[in-house]
Amino acid sequence: MNTRQQIEALFSGYEKSTELADFMEELESNLNDRVAFLKQKGLGGQEALDKALAELGDVSALADELSLKRKQEVISEMYMKTRNYISPPRMALYVALGALIGFGAIVGGVIAFGPAQGYDIAPAILGTLMIFCGGGILGLIFLGLTQETASKMAMPWKRALWYLLAAALVIFGLSVTAMVYVNYIYFDLAEAPYLSETLATLIPFFLPGAALGIFLILTEKDLSKPWVAKLRKEALESAHERFGSPVQQERFGLICGAIWIAAIAAFILLSITVGFKFSWLAFVAALVAQLLVQAAFSKDAAGGAKDGVARKQAQ
Amino acid sequence: MENSIRSISMEPKLSSDLLRGHTDTIVLGSLLKQDRYGFEIYNRILGRTGEQYELKETTLYSSYKRLERDGYITSYWGDETQGARRKYYRITETGRGLYAQNKIDLEFTQRIIRDLLKEDEE
Repeated sequence: MNTRQQIEALFSGYEKSTELADFMEELESNLNDRVAFLKQKGLGGQEALDKALAELGDVSALADELSLKRKQEVISEMYMKTRNYISPPRMALYVALGALIGFGAIVGGVIAFGPAQGYDIAPAILGTLMIFCGGGILGLIFLGLTQETASKMAMPWKRALWYLLAAALVIFGLSVTAMVYVNYIYFDLAEAPYLSETLATLIPFFLPGAALGIFLILTEKDLSKPWVAKLRKEALESAHERFGSPVQQERFGLICGAIWIAAIAAFILLSITVGFKFSWLAFVAALVAQLLVQAAFSKDAAGGAKDGVARKQAQ
Repeated sequence: MENSIRSISMEPKLSSDLLRGHTDTIVLGSLLKQDRYGFEIYNRILGRTGEQYELKETTLYSSYKRLERDGYITSYWGDETQGARRKYYRITETGRGLYAQNKIDLEFTQRIIRDLLKEDEE
């Protein structure tokens, strides 16, 4: 191995920062000179390199410092520089859509508090809100989904269109239902089974829209950028550390599941027998139980770690 | 701890621990007359201590970083055309000030230590 490879090997586990790269280059030239010097004094090639590396000592503290800075830089860059991802035309669109929503809200307000009063203006308000605010919200949804950010990649626009359709159906469906409901009240048809008919208007638009939306969300791919996935993995690993082992974590999960299922069962049972006034206490009890179990598990993990240390010392 | 198990040979031995506390001053001192790069500084120290000082080079690198951060030295890349570039260090005015102060302090301390270790004349 030459000096370059040796240095690469020394720092293989570290985040490459400009500072670290700088340092590695400095190290390389100094090591090369030192090796040449030692060779002049009669050492063999490998011998000289080994000696020079031994003289170098432990670089980990320095490398930690130099690469840690980079890690912080990377993270702050990722979080802070979201603005860089928004192109000027998109920015203009975001602003325009915001203005559209604001316009709809103002027009709706003008109608609501204008000279005409009574239920007959309700459809006008709802229509205005639906067209302007609804349109604005749909636009923002589409832009938001296809927006690349620091932490997530942009969704393909075709898929985003499906989301748009789902959202449009939901908004339109809800508007129609609201209008029908207002109409029933306006014509004072309260005697008629208006509630069930109003709810029935949810079927043609809202329901398919919601179903499509849920389907899309459930089949969604993970659009996180690699660094987010990495952070998530690290968080998962630290969780494993806290619980001692994956097995213990699984056991903890199972116990918690059991606690909450029992809580729901108790809630239903208590609701029937005692009433709602006290039945909610079942959830409080479940929460307390979960915290206690978590405390017991964490202590176990610490005990396990201590055992490990004791065993190491015994050896 | 080290002293308690130290074998007494009556041969003078360089105390690396004591020297290490003065790494910054030693680095500043080697830059007084000219700019130098890492290998030169290291070699100069080895030469002057008769290779007795088991100085790890990372100690020096930490010192460069510290001194540069605090503004006592600056660094620049040499214009070598062949092989890896060399990073040179240059002492600043504040660096010279620190060197002079450290030197005065050290000489003063040396005198005190000599007095403290002097055997009583009875």
